[in-house]
Amino acid sequence: MWNIVKKWIEVRIGLDELVKTQLTEYLVPRNINLFYTLGFVALGGFVVQIITGFFLLTYYVPHTDHAFKSVQDIMVNVPYGWLFRLMHVVGSNLIVASVGAHMLSVFFMNSYKKPRELTWLVGASMLLITLTFCLSGYLLPWSQLSYWATTIVTNIPSAIPSVGDFAVQMSRGGQNVSGATLGRFFALHVGILPALLAGLLGTHLFLVRRIGISAPPFGPSKKEKNPWTAFRHEHHPDGHPFFPHFVLKEAAMVMAFFAVVFFVITFAPALFSPEDASLPADPFRTPAHIKPEWYFLAAYQMLKIVPNKFAGISLQIIIVTLFLFWPFLDTAKEDNILKRRVLLGLFLAACLGWIVLTIWGKYS
Amino acid sequence: MTNRREFLQKVLAILGLTTLASFVYPLTKYFSPPAEESAAKLLVLSRKDIAVGDAQEVVFNNTPCVVINRPDKGFVALSRVCTHLGCLVEYQKDKKRLLCPCHAGTYDLAGSVTSGPPPKPLLQFPLKVEGDSIIIG
Amino acid sequence: MRYLLSCFFILACATIGAAAQSTEPVCIQCHDTDMMKAGLRKVPAEWRKSWHYQNGVACNDCHGGDPIDAAMAMSPQRGFAGKPSYEGVPEFCGKCHIGILKNYRESGHGKALKASGSGPNCVTCHGSHAIQKANIDIINEERCTQCHSYDRAEIMKQALFATEKNIRDIDNSLKRLSSQGMYTEEEGKELFRIEAEFRTLFHTADVSLVKQKTDGFQQKLDTLNKKIDVLFTELHTRRNFSGFLLLLFGGMSIVLFLLAKDFFKRGEEK
Repeated sequence: MWNIVKKWIEVRIGLDELVKTQLTEYLVPRNINLFYTLGFVALGGFVVQIITGFFLLTYYVPHTDHAFKSVQDIMVNVPYGWLFRLMHVVGSNLIVASVGAHMLSVFFMNSYKKPRELTWLVGASMLLITLTFCLSGYLLPWSQLSYWATTIVTNIPSAIPSVGDFAVQMSRGGQNVSGATLGRFFALHVGILPALLAGLLGTHLFLVRRIGISAPPFGPSKKEKNPWTAFRHEHHPDGHPFFPHFVLKEAAMVMAFFAVVFFVITFAPALFSPEDASLPADPFRTPAHIKPEWYFLAAYQMLKIVPNKFAGISLQIIIVTLFLFWPFLDTAKEDNILKRRVLLGLFLAACLGWIVLTIWGKYS
Repeated sequence: MTNRREFLQKVLAILGLTTLASFVYPLTKYFSPPAEESAAKLLVLSRKDIAVGDAQEVVFNNTPCVVINRPDKGFVALSRVCTHLGCLVEYQKDKKRLLCPCHAGTYDLAGSVTSGPPPKPLLQFPLKVEGDSIIIG
Repeated sequence: MRYLLSCFFILACATIGAAAQSTEPVCIQCHDTDMMKAGLRKVPAEWRKSWHYQNGVACNDCHGGDPIDAAMAMSPQRGFAGKPSYEGVPEFCGKCHIGILKNYRESGHGKALKASGSGPNCVTCHGSHAIQKANIDIINEERCTQCHSYDRAEIMKQALFATEKNIRDIDNSLKRLSSQGMYTEEEGKELFRIEAEFRTLFHTADVSLVKQKTDGFQQKLDTLNKKIDVLFTELHTRRNFSGFLLLLFGGMSIVLFLLAKDFFKRGEEK
């Protein structure tokens, strides 16, 4: 039966050739390691976010009078609503972790170098979009935490001279966070950002496939690469089949990702929901301690320690710009980071700095 | 070698199908319309029991409520649970208001907050007057 | 443009304060400095330790005056009432705590104050600015023996004790449920209602009334306890279900890793 179906499709789109070139005879580097699966893990995570997001969309009401209650209804009254909501909340935090890990491993293996600069640029933009997803999603439950964290964040651009206040009002849809803010954040979260992400993701995957997977630069030194003056796809004739070998590894990691999601849901379901998240938004009462989510703590702390607000924001903009355009700054030929002490030192210092700032931000 | 592979593939199939089923069931329940509330319980009172300007305390849907016979706007059924912290409000006939004894939140006879800490108006229940009966719910 | 916008959003962090801090009333600006006599200067610090502070009740909510405009902060036109007299304290606090004022006025304590001008007022037991959440230990030997022997107060405390413990236990259960992500707003309100009614009993200083009402309270608390048990059961069911899913995904992960290893090894051997 299955063969009949396969033959039917084969005659129409040449399925066999596709399977051969894209799956079974598509070879990945022999020394490929587990870190290469992280991109796919992030993709798997996003798919789950979209699916659980659709489910939540069935019951969520994006109006200030109903938002909080609708989320509460999902958690209490809708059968298994708690499951999908918690998957969405926990999943969103874990996606940031996997996207971050993916980025760190790409950086560590210098895979952003020529000819992959564009892939890095698109990927870095996706990281920013992911964080914007998190930010916009945060407001939707319209809890105390949502309201006040958004107030603080949308206030940041005010430090920029002349256009600052305009930017603040644009992001809020008015002077203060209100129903207008909820409206535009909802549109962002559910419509605009997914479309942007889909476009970027498609480009990212196309670039990876078109240029070819980079081999890890470690191990015995390879022969000197020919200077890159014309396009060529990077083949790995001595590599492993993408399917089923590498796909199995990717699938295993995706399952591990979900195992972690359900571990958190089972043993620490309120891990990402502090007390203020269970109180409806009250524009007249600021809670005593509002902190951003863990992935923003480092930036939060950095802004706190720079005494001048404008300098603080400028510093962050500069860092983000450097981050986005890094492949155009680091054009050295050597792609083994272990042989580049300065870069390795910088990398480790940045990681350590981020960790320190995050912990400091949590306890300050 | 192949036996091992086949065994693993079989185990994977079982786990996979179980996982799928474990999501299909919740999904079905998630999207199913809620069971029709069995003839939503109604509370019936007699009109004669509440004179104009007076009120009667009742319990509807496990919530303490008050049914007020307002001189100008007729009958209304309001929840007595103050929206501040949950104390029960009291009807004050002379002051034509509802007062919460815990922190002096006051509501008018439509349930709107007139002063004090309550953040939202009192919950109102659907009320119909049919002949001599007042039907709540 | 998209990048710039993303940058703005990504600089997502709390700036120091301007938006974050709750604005304190303008009264504090003078009362926190050494322009004030020592007695007045310590008031803001005491207030910040109080339950009132944590619930957004500030100077003007009790004393009147304008909390924003310094020039009108102590103006009678804005309802500034200053410091109440000793006998005026119950009415002062009773502006908000109406139910308690009523019970107090009808009690031995309230009558004593009205008749002779001496007797405990609210401040005697609760303090004036560092007010804490009410609890049974406000009734203690040191405090009550200021005017009379402790035995009456002790009997009262004993009568209140069991119900108080029950209330505390339920409060802890609700906190546990809430920390596990369950919604406890309705039950919390019900507990507060019962607790508030119970607290007003304290102020009647009438032991026989307390004993009479205790059963009623016990019943209400039992009903509440049943609801809480239902919530705990629901919590456990949820935990079991997600634990089951955890095992499934963990299992699949392991099996897939083993399968991958198998394929890779065969690849090596070729």
